[in-house]
Amino acid sequence: MKKTIRVLIAKPGLDGHDRGALVISQALRDYGMEVIYTGLRQTPEQIAAAAIQEDVDAIGLSCLSGAHNELFPEVMRLLQERGADDIIVVGGGVIPWEDIPFLESKGIKKVFTPGTPTIETAKYIEKTVFERDGISTSQVPVTPPERIDHIGIAVSSLDETLPFYVNQLGLTLEAIEEVPSQRVKVAFIKIGDTRLELLEAMSEDSPIAQFIEKRGQGVHHVALGVSDIQSRIDELKLNDIKMINEAPVIGAGGAQVAFMHPSSSHKVLFELCEKSKKEEV
Amino acid sequence: MDKQQRLKNWQEKTEQSMNRFPERKERFHTSSDIEIKRLYGAEEENYPFDTLGLPGEYPYTRGSQSTMYRARFWTMRQYAGFGSAEETNKRFRYLLEQGQTGLSVAFDLPTQIGYDSDQPMARGEVGKVGVAIDSLEDMEALLKDIPLDKVSTSMTINAPASVLLAMYIAVAQKQGVEADQLSGTIQNDILKEYIARGTYIFPPNPSMRLITDIFAYCQSHVPKWNTISISGYHIREAGANAAQELAFTIANGLAYVDAALEAGLQIDDFAPRLAFFFNAHNQFFEEAAKFRAARRMWAKLMKERYGAKNPKSWQLRFHTQTGGSTLTAQQPDNNIVRVTTQALSAVLGGTQSLHTNSRDEALALPTEESARIALRTQQILAHETGVADTVDPLAGSYYVESLTDELERKANEYLDKIEQMGGAVSAVEQGYMQREIHHTSYETQKKIENGQEIIVGMNKFTIDNEPQPELLRVDPELGEKQKEKLKALKSNRDQNRVSAQLEMLRSAAKGQDNLMPVILECVKSYCTVGEICGVLREEFGEYTGV
Repeated sequence: MKKTIRVLIAKPGLDGHDRGALVISQALRDYGMEVIYTGLRQTPEQIAAAAIQEDVDAIGLSCLSGAHNELFPEVMRLLQERGADDIIVVGGGVIPWEDIPFLESKGIKKVFTPGTPTIETAKYIEKTVFERDGISTSQVPVTPPERIDHIGIAVSSLDETLPFYVNQLGLTLEAIEEVPSQRVKVAFIKIGDTRLELLEAMSEDSPIAQFIEKRGQGVHHVALGVSDIQSRIDELKLNDIKMINEAPVIGAGGAQVAFMHPSSSHKVLFELCEKSKKEEV
Repeated sequence: MDKQQRLKNWQEKTEQSMNRFPERKERFHTSSDIEIKRLYGAEEENYPFDTLGLPGEYPYTRGSQSTMYRARFWTMRQYAGFGSAEETNKRFRYLLEQGQTGLSVAFDLPTQIGYDSDQPMARGEVGKVGVAIDSLEDMEALLKDIPLDKVSTSMTINAPASVLLAMYIAVAQKQGVEADQLSGTIQNDILKEYIARGTYIFPPNPSMRLITDIFAYCQSHVPKWNTISISGYHIREAGANAAQELAFTIANGLAYVDAALEAGLQIDDFAPRLAFFFNAHNQFFEEAAKFRAARRMWAKLMKERYGAKNPKSWQLRFHTQTGGSTLTAQQPDNNIVRVTTQALSAVLGGTQSLHTNSRDEALALPTEESARIALRTQQILAHETGVADTVDPLAGSYYVESLTDELERKANEYLDKIEQMGGAVSAVEQGYMQREIHHTSYETQKKIENGQEIIVGMNKFTIDNEPQPELLRVDPELGEKQKEKLKALKSNRDQNRVSAQLEMLRSAAKGQDNLMPVILECVKSYCTVGEICGVLREEFGEYTGV
């Protein structure tokens, strides 16, 4: 089961500006964390006590009044005194750049200045908590691929290979298409809800030509059907997956595709594939 | 009345007023020597007298005076204050030398929440967002060599407004200026503190009593003082949209009016001293329309619902500040441009006074240079652009008139809802406005993050390696210095007198009498803000949020 991260959002001092604290609380909740908001006017003692009592993984301190240099380090000191300095503390508000090194030297992990997207803060907290807990970052919540979109098979010649699939296996050839970006000619063969894609190199510098030269004909890649491909790419990258394509490119059938680097996937070449909406109809 | 007659009456009235307040120039004209008239549109066949009125006439859509900025520009009033009273006094005198026409005091958070600098809750906050005032001694230093009979002063103080107003009166008396000569404003708007700004002390009921006590006291002793500045500014900063800002501010205003009537005051005795404070945000035409709608709504409510007879009770007069939360920490010089268009919307909307924000406010308190550019921005609008040469130049624009009507309609929907909840006090206690604002603020944040709303320099047109501007730093030793000053004061003052005054305050708080006179005696005896508010905390209890 995935760990649910607990965060205390706190307003130290007398500052009454809590728009930021409220927004970040809701954004972290929407991201899947449990968030406790202290309300206004908390002393460092109250914040440390609440964090320990609520057994939180992280504290977010928000201050817009300029009192951060006194109040943030005091929270850190109290956490340390009570043996709770494994709690990850981050800060935000109106905090001049030049104060950030000082705050970091006092143990504040990161200071988010105005304009930081809330998602960035959420991901930072998540990554830091997981690292602290020794949880493999591959456990960062991801949206799993939805289906096998197709299996790509490298062939020397479509003409020589197609009869096996069509005549001997009795499958249906849907279409043949050239994909200039990959310098390949592709034959789509329907099989149940998925397809086989036979790939023939159109020139010698085609990745398929290089593949056949190195490893011979055979299974080339497995394509995983996803939605919102850019977000999936971002998630995989957060999980330390190396991508060949960090942004989607146009593949066969007008789909958006991106390949993972086989070094990250135990030598199997995986492709993420998002079919355009029109085609699904 | 026939339209021609109405226009003629207005002209006569305007000319009379010009005998007392002459216009800035004999003749206004454009660069091409086109004469600029005072008023456009009213001679037209279908001029909507009922919804627009004439400038300075009910329902004041076109402005609260007939000549507006042709007679006198808006008051340029920059909010300032940081560190010690002595330091802030220097900044005030600098701003006055630079042509600023009114003062606006920012107090630090301990002062705003009724703590002395040496109280544990004040830790780290002394002198940070404003000047630290513990006792009359600090107030004397703050206002040293500033002629209080000539300068009008706005004080952003809410829960302890009575205490700071009393100190102001006491300093003036020492200068030889009587209270009835003083002009200025205290913010004194507790409802928006519960909703948006957070510097409340006491629960709603005793807070409303403190406010109506001030209304009553000022009516007889400080008649030129604006006793409250009903503030939409902070509601907007907390994330509300324009219609919410308008609606919640007016709803709060109605709650103060109701409280004052309940306390036995007469509408025309206190309503003319009610002032408002709005935000000037990014959407240019909507903001200008908002100010116009606010005037019209208030006039109708005062006249029709409350039966006020004095036209001054109908007039909504307001201060404007440009939107602090619209400023970016990235590429801070871009903020000068934002402030300029926001300020222009306030001027076209007919504001009585204006604060223009400094470019570096998303990073720290403004430096002197940034504060000067901010003031120069309004001076340029006033003196170089000609926008102040005719009254309500946006009137009659299909778009602006439609926005004005639509904002009024949306705000009235909110007002109905709040009324059904039993009015603003009870809506605040139920957390209604707070939830509505949070909802809007979170939606805005999401739109910015997914790029539906573009903030130049922040989520688009960004640059790498931003240069880091020079920032103002408040003396970190100030907290200690202020504590020592307070210690010295406490050992030098007449302690028996202090104790006696505080006990009188306690018994007055238990009873029904107006608290202002006894608070004035307390401050004259050098009781501190923390001591006075401490007694009231014990008697009234503390508000702890929804």
